[in-house]
Amino acid sequence: MEYLVSHYNYWIYTLLMMLGLYAMLAKNNLVKKVIGMSIFQTAIIVFYVSIGAKREATIPIIAHGHGSDAAHAAIDAMHYANPLPHVLMLTAIVVSVGTLGVALAICLGIYRRYNTLEEDEIQEQLQ
Amino acid sequence: MIWQIDLSVLTLIVICGFATIMVKDLLSAAIIFGAYSFLMCLLWTEMGAVDVAFTEASVGAGVSTILFIATAFQTTRKVKSRKKGRIFSKIVGLTAAVIMGLVLLAAQNNFPGFADPGSPASLHLSPYYITKTLIDTAVPNMVTSVLADYRGFDTMFETAVIFTAGLAVIAILRRVRLADRCDLPEPYTISAGYQDTIIRFISRQLVPFIQLFALYVVAHGHHSPGGGFQGGVILGASFILLAITYDMDLLLRRVNEKWSVLLGNIGVLIYAGIGFICLLLGANFLDYSILHKILPATGPVMARSHGMLGIEIGVAIAVMAIVITIYANLASHGKLDKGL
Repeated sequence: MEYLVSHYNYWIYTLLMMLGLYAMLAKNNLVKKVIGMSIFQTAIIVFYVSIGAKREATIPIIAHGHGSDAAHAAIDAMHYANPLPHVLMLTAIVVSVGTLGVALAICLGIYRRYNTLEEDEIQEQLQ
Repeated sequence: MIWQIDLSVLTLIVICGFATIMVKDLLSAAIIFGAYSFLMCLLWTEMGAVDVAFTEASVGAGVSTILFIATAFQTTRKVKSRKKGRIFSKIVGLTAAVIMGLVLLAAQNNFPGFADPGSPASLHLSPYYITKTLIDTAVPNMVTSVLADYRGFDTMFETAVIFTAGLAVIAILRRVRLADRCDLPEPYTISAGYQDTIIRFISRQLVPFIQLFALYVVAHGHHSPGGGFQGGVILGASFILLAITYDMDLLLRRVNEKWSVLLGNIGVLIYAGIGFICLLLGANFLDYSILHKILPATGPVMARSHGMLGIEIGVAIAVMAIVITIYANLASHGKLDKGL
């Protein structure tokens, strides 16, 4: 039980990653493949954010951080969640919308030329 | 951190993930994926990653869903079901997924427990940023201070990546060559309420408030969750709302293609320009503390806070322009005539 409670999020991120990889490889529809890619990305983000979480810790914004003498108050690192994975993942999410836009644009370009989004129909037309 | 909430949200996420992969309708898949993103957002708030949750709410649940819907609108909504064939690729996909899953599961015994305060990631580097952010930069939100100052060089190139993505979308879709194009079927209407007066009126009244909120998010990102990325996406989303409820013309009369590319440029230039000003004043690239020489009534510490505000504004402008560009091109098949 102890082990289950402390590791369930790793199992879930593995499950999401498998789901994303399966969709990318096995799905016939190109947009479904792109959705699989997005699920894969969020699985990685789940992993990183889980690493940054701490028990008994609050959000990484220093409480009462205003004023001139706020800087001299003692800050205990144990009271705040680890901000570094958050920063990495924040930019990863924003970049993911860029990659998503490019991927969907390529899907539209393929549709424009082959008039289908199904992988096997495109391959038939290519031969 | 309450693990019961965590576990139930994660279970819902997995169900949504399965549903969005399996459903035979791209519009439904897009909507379920939006729900998936909102659940993710809930999960991250629960884990204490408020900035990530904010980004996911605006980017993942908002803009990504709209991009998927625009694609479904411009191509086809149906996913054809295959009775036979495709067995081979399904087996390959399943095998690869299972092998990867087993490898990852085998590695998990060595991971520290979830939310363990003594995990290696929380012991060595991160206490420095947690304890020094107020002394070094006078910014209480340590995610902002790491993003825009300690790691500012990286964020500058992330902004450049966003800008490049916008350019790539234009390069792929704006080539209007007739020989290149099949006879596109007329895109079918997704909703009949498109010209609804109530929807138009309400969204038009909402847009100023959304934009005001976006500016607040940009300006107040030092003290609360938020910052340039989130504010920029919300600003872009307000324009997208106009384009959906009215038509593409209304959007392009306000921000036409030339302007949005120019704004993307300006945003990246503001970021790099602040770095170069620091260089000219005799400090390192993006070392904002030297800016106190030209900013009135600031010490070196407050100058770093102000420098961060400057680059957040640049990021917001660039992200807003690129989100608008990507949407406008996807929703109109690169023709920029009529949208959703």
